[in-house]
Amino acid sequence: MFRRLPGAVLLGSALVFGAGVAFQVSAQSEPEIAARAGEREWWSPGIDMTVPEMLTYSNSWGELSIYTEGAPIATKGHAFFEPIGANGRACVSCHQPADGMGLSVASIQQRWKETKGKDPIFAMVDGANCPTLPPGDAASHSLLLNRGLFRISLPWPPRDPNGKAIDPEFTIEVVRDPTGCNTDARYGLTSDQPRISVYRRPRPVANVKYTTHQNFGVSPFIGKNGLPTARDPETGRPTSMNLMSDARFPTLKVQMRDAAATHLEFKGRLTARQMSQIEDFERRVYAAQVSLVQAGSLVEPDGPPAFGPRNLARGEAGVLGNNTTRFVFPMGDAWKVAKPSETPEQRAKREAILRGQDIFMFRTFWIRDSMHLNTVGLGNPTKRTCATCHGMHMTGMDAANGWMDLGTTNLPWAKEVPVNPWTDKKAEMPLFKVTCKAGVPAHPYLGRIIYTQDPGRALISGKCNDVGTIVMQQFRALASRAPYFSNGSAASIRELIDFYDRRYNIQFTEQERLDLEIFLASL
Amino acid sequence: MERAVVLRGLLLASLALHSAASAAEDHLAFVSCPIVRDTKTVPCWLAEHEGETYYLGIQTDVSAPFSPPSLGHKVLVEGEKTDEPRICGGIPLRNVIVSVMPERADYCQTLLMAEDRYTLPFESPRPPGPSRGRLAFSFPEPEKVMPPYKSRSFQLRYDFDGTVGFRHPRSLVAVMEYASQINARSIVIKGYRGRTILSNGEALTEREGLAELRAKEAANLLQGAGLTSPEYVVTWDDEPQTGDASQRRIEISVDP
Repeated sequence: MFRRLPGAVLLGSALVFGAGVAFQVSAQSEPEIAARAGEREWWSPGIDMTVPEMLTYSNSWGELSIYTEGAPIATKGHAFFEPIGANGRACVSCHQPADGMGLSVASIQQRWKETKGKDPIFAMVDGANCPTLPPGDAASHSLLLNRGLFRISLPWPPRDPNGKAIDPEFTIEVVRDPTGCNTDARYGLTSDQPRISVYRRPRPVANVKYTTHQNFGVSPFIGKNGLPTARDPETGRPTSMNLMSDARFPTLKVQMRDAAATHLEFKGRLTARQMSQIEDFERRVYAAQVSLVQAGSLVEPDGPPAFGPRNLARGEAGVLGNNTTRFVFPMGDAWKVAKPSETPEQRAKREAILRGQDIFMFRTFWIRDSMHLNTVGLGNPTKRTCATCHGMHMTGMDAANGWMDLGTTNLPWAKEVPVNPWTDKKAEMPLFKVTCKAGVPAHPYLGRIIYTQDPGRALISGKCNDVGTIVMQQFRALASRAPYFSNGSAASIRELIDFYDRRYNIQFTEQERLDLEIFLASL
Repeated sequence: MERAVVLRGLLLASLALHSAASAAEDHLAFVSCPIVRDTKTVPCWLAEHEGETYYLGIQTDVSAPFSPPSLGHKVLVEGEKTDEPRICGGIPLRNVIVSVMPERADYCQTLLMAEDRYTLPFESPRPPGPSRGRLAFSFPEPEKVMPPYKSRSFQLRYDFDGTVGFRHPRSLVAVMEYASQINARSIVIKGYRGRTILSNGEALTEREGLAELRAKEAANLLQGAGLTSPEYVVTWDDEPQTGDASQRRIEISVDP
C-alpha cells in the first residue's frame, strides 16, 4: 500500500537515509510499519532537494506527515536549510521533518552513533552540558543524549527587551551543578557577566500559525497577571507569547535572530531575505500523525477533522476549543459507527482514540496549586479537565499567553533522582534555590523558598510567582518527538500521562491511561 | 397636607434608617479558612464564621464576577447576610467580595466530598469542563466615543493587599482604548489603600506604601503596553480608607 516517493524528488547530496524511508500517505496501514519503528531519516545542513508537498515517515506509533502548503521549496541556498553559522548547523538540524519538525532523542542518539559525535548538533556551545567539558565524550553530552536537552544560557539579572537590567524579585543560588556550567568561572552565575544555564528541548517548528496567532486572548495585557504583553517590534502589536518555553521572544523574526547567533554561532546579522525565507517556510509547514498502528489511516476523506496536517492547515488559529461547539480536537461522527471495511482490531483502536478524546475533554479532576491556572479566577483547587489548560482548538496549547507551573521543573513535583545511602545514581539536572525577597509577596503555593531545576519564565520576568512556569506546547506530532516537557523528563507519552496522574491525583484507570495514550499518539 | 408630607418624610427617613441599620447588621466582614464542597456539577465555596457556614459562590470561569478563593490561604469575606435558602449548606451572602489573603495558611485544606443532599438550586452557567460555546458571563460592549471628548474616570479594584492581577486587563484595556480614541492629553492616576473593619471589631489594614505602589504600577503598565503619549500625573493617598472593598482601589482619569 505504501509507495516510496520518487528518488529524484527526495535524494539529494546531503540527504542521509540510513534505514529511513519516506512514504506517501495511503488510506490503510500495514504491519510492516511496526518493523520500521525507530527509523529516522536525517536532513543534514546544506541538503540539496525540493521539499515536496507531503512527506511521510514511519514512527513507533504509525506514520507522521509533513505537509508544506503552497509551492515546493528548494533547500539549496535556503536559509532554513543552509549551515550559515560557524558550527555547521542549520535550522533544520534541530527541526527535523521525521521528528515532526522537532528533534527526538532517538534521532540524537542515532546521529551520535552514525557520526561518532561529530554531527553539528553536538556543538559544544549548547550541545554539550557545558562548553568546558571534553568534546567527543558522551558524558559531556549526556543531557542531549539522554533527554534531548540543549543548554540555554540566560543573563542574570534578566534584561528587558531594551537590554536594561530588571531588578528581580528573588535571589538565586546554585544548589547542585552536575554540568559544572552554573558554577563555572566563565559561564556561571559568579562570572564577570553572570549567566544561568538551563537545559531545554527544542520546540517543533510546524503549525506555526497556531503558536503565533493574533486571535483570542491576545491583548495589550497578559490575561494571567495583567502585565504588559510583549509586542512585535516591527508592528507594535501585542503577541501571543507562545513561541518559546519562557516566552522570551515575541516573534519568529526575533527568535530566528537569536537562534542564529546562539545555536548556529552565526557572527553576522541575518539578511531580510534570509529571515523572509525562514519565516515563509515556517509558516507553511504542518506536522501531524496520519496513521496509527492497527487503527490505520487517520486521514481518510470522511475521517475525524482533528487529524492530519492538511486539517491543521485548514483550521482556525487561536480560537478556544474547550467547548462542545468547536472542541479542542474535533472528532466528528465519522468513527462513531463501525464501517464494513474496518477490521475488528482497527475498530477497537479507533474506539480507543474516541474514548481518549472523551477523557481529554470530559474527565474531571482537581487541579491544584498550579500558578497562573488556579490564580486566574477558577479557584484553588478547581474541578476541571485536561482541556481546561490545553484549550486551543487543533493544538491543545493555551490560547492566551500560556505559561503555568505544573511542577515539571519545580520541586517537589519535578523528576529527581532519589537521595539515599543505597544509591550512587547522580542527578543530571542542575538545582537552584530561589528566595523571594522581603517585601515581595511570597509564591502563593510554594512559599518564599523554591527549589527548581529551571526557573522558566522567572528568568525573563524576574517575578517570584513565575518561578518554574513554562509555556505549554502544542500536542501535534507527539509520536515522533519524544521525550516530552521542556526538560525532557517524560520519556514517553505514558510517562507524560503518569506525571499528570501523580501531580493531580487523577487516579486514571489502566484503561483510561491506554486510551489517552493512543489518543495523544494519534495527534 | 403639609403635616401629611412631613409625616411621610419622617416615615421614609425612619424606613431608610431601619434599612441602613439592618444592612449594617447584615453586613459581614471576616477572615477564615475557605471550604470547597464538591457537587454533582461544579464545586461550591463556603466559609465559616462564628459557628455559622456561609455560601460564597461556585466555580465558573474567568469571566465570572465571583472568583473562588484558594485552599492553603485564608480568605477575607465581605458581604451581606441574606435570609435566602441555604446553598451547599451555607447561608448565601449578597454582594459578596472575597479576597485571598497573601500569607500561606497550610491548615486551610477542607475539601468536602459531594453529597446527594447538597445540590445547586440553579444550573451552573459553566459546567466543570468544556463550555457550551461561550464564557459563563458576557460583558457589555464599550460605548462608541463621539466628540466632544470628555474626561472619563475608571476605577481598578484590588484584592486585599493585592496589586495587578488577572482581573485587571479588561479595565486597563478600557483605559487604553478610551485614551487612544480621544487622543488623551493626560492620564491622572491616584492610588489608595483600604482598611476593613471586621465584624468582630478588628481593623484589617492594607500594608503601608500600597497606595503608591498601585498608582505607579498602573502608570507603568499603561506605558509598558504602549500608551506613552499622554502626560502621566501619578499621586497617592496612603492614609488607609476605612470602608468596604471599594476602598482598595486606584482611580484613573483620562483627559482629552
